[in-house]
Amino acid sequence: MPGFLERLPALPALGVGISTEYGARRQDGALDPRALRAEHPELARFLEVGVEIAKGLDDDARAWVADGGATTYHFLDVNLDEPEDLDPRWLAAVRETVAMLRPAWLCGDAGMWHFGARDRGHMLLLPPVLVPEAVAPMAEGIAALRQATGLEVLPENPPGAVFVGPLHVLEFFAAVAEAADTGLLLDCAHLAMFQRARGLPWNAGFDGFAWDRVIELHVAGGSEHAVEGFSFVEDDHGTQVLPDTWMIFEEALRRATNLRAVVVECERNPIPAVLPLLRRVAGARPA
Amino acid sequence: MSDERLEPRRVQQALVAMLFDPEFAARVRAGAVPELSERERALLRDVDPRALETDPHRRARAVHVLVEELPATAAVLGVDAVEGFLGSPELRAGLFERAALTASFAAWLGDRALGVGRLEAAMAALRRATEPSGQGVACSPGVRGLVVPAGTLAFYLRIRAELGSDPVHALACWGGRPRPSPPRRGAQYLLVERKADGSLDLGTASEPLVRLLAFAEAARARAELEAEAVRLGAESAEASKLVDDLLAEGLLWQGAAGP
Repeated sequence: MPGFLERLPALPALGVGISTEYGARRQDGALDPRALRAEHPELARFLEVGVEIAKGLDDDARAWVADGGATTYHFLDVNLDEPEDLDPRWLAAVRETVAMLRPAWLCGDAGMWHFGARDRGHMLLLPPVLVPEAVAPMAEGIAALRQATGLEVLPENPPGAVFVGPLHVLEFFAAVAEAADTGLLLDCAHLAMFQRARGLPWNAGFDGFAWDRVIELHVAGGSEHAVEGFSFVEDDHGTQVLPDTWMIFEEALRRATNLRAVVVECERNPIPAVLPLLRRVAGARPA
Repeated sequence: MSDERLEPRRVQQALVAMLFDPEFAARVRAGAVPELSERERALLRDVDPRALETDPHRRARAVHVLVEELPATAAVLGVDAVEGFLGSPELRAGLFERAALTASFAAWLGDRALGVGRLEAAMAALRRATEPSGQGVACSPGVRGLVVPAGTLAFYLRIRAELGSDPVHALACWGGRPRPSPPRRGAQYLLVERKADGSLDLGTASEPLVRLLAFAEAARARAELEAEAVRLGAESAEASKLVDDLLAEGLLWQGAAGP
């Protein structure tokens, strides 16, 4: 199998897209992906579909695909570092979903999506333990999922209020990408959370990061909260993007020379509220 | 266990336990805990306890799931007692074993809610049962025989009807109402079966059948099962045919070859 950088030319340039997940539009005023595409096609060139196999695809995702819209598949239900999680039944359902969505690639937060097996009440999202020992199990899961689906699998740095382990999250994911020989999805908002949680400047760890493997970026709003004086950012996908997220995004654009896609995660906001955000992203990276 | 062991997954599972259980988190900070090597604990001991409190609804969501799935049990114990499970060794053991939350809860529950607790725990287990592998003869994965106090089934059905389609809301509205007291005496022999559509059938069955199925919850050699059938009252000459019949009816499952 050719190395990732040799496989890279086969990945399409998708431009600026938006995200959705099952039932996202049930909330009043939530984003209507097809309406956005009809009104502003340059701001919704593809749809990143968040998939939890147990829930399937909702009408919005199906309609987008029926219209011939481009997609990426964002998993919401696999702990990549747990071989038990890539069970035959789940993999078969993933392949069926892939056949429906025809995504350009698979991607998603490479963290703990659930404790134990997939079950009611088990869902959460924790970042990986940032130690060298955690690299190989995650890389093996990525390679296994790539082999099972025939698509590239791009791990994403997850959000968190607490990050365990001595490695910087960029150092960890660079090691994972190399071990799995894959590309990366860099979530700028999640990285801003990490830098804040560690008390680091917004661009800590940038030098030496595997920027040539970064295929996709995420930009999303976040809100600042505190518990008894402990500050943290909630990854609420609102329209207020933190200044450090913007700085990370703009620098990532400069460094990620093989970038193919940028997703603005804003699925629960109305179109007028997200237009400024989408325009800023599209303006920073002309489609 | 070596103090040098470092299993990232175990560290993450311990972190989940810390998220659910502030007392366990405090013990991790304070000193050695049996669940972790010293190297694993070193990664977690400096976690700011406030960082574990950023999701104020985490425990409530877990309790909600348990109350929805074991509503009569929650009515008998009280919701506060159900929440107590989140600080239990059984929760932690389940996290480290990748067990279902309901299975860990069932391990903690034991006989706390008497027959109704065991009935609902069995129902939760049957909803998640998967095709077994291995050898021997065992109770089918979609079947469970239970010996419970007399009147348990009627008690369960009555409480379940009272709680309606939203047991969490119903229990929240119970206020200071006394908790129902489940039957304690006598014996009732229950058969719980998962149907093809995933729903569960509850009914009574004969004592020998239920006891034989309970005996077969762990896979047994066929000869061992036949001997148990005889001990429970079957004629020696009929024991083999009885096991064949139960296999044909789908109440028993047989692996590729007996041990």
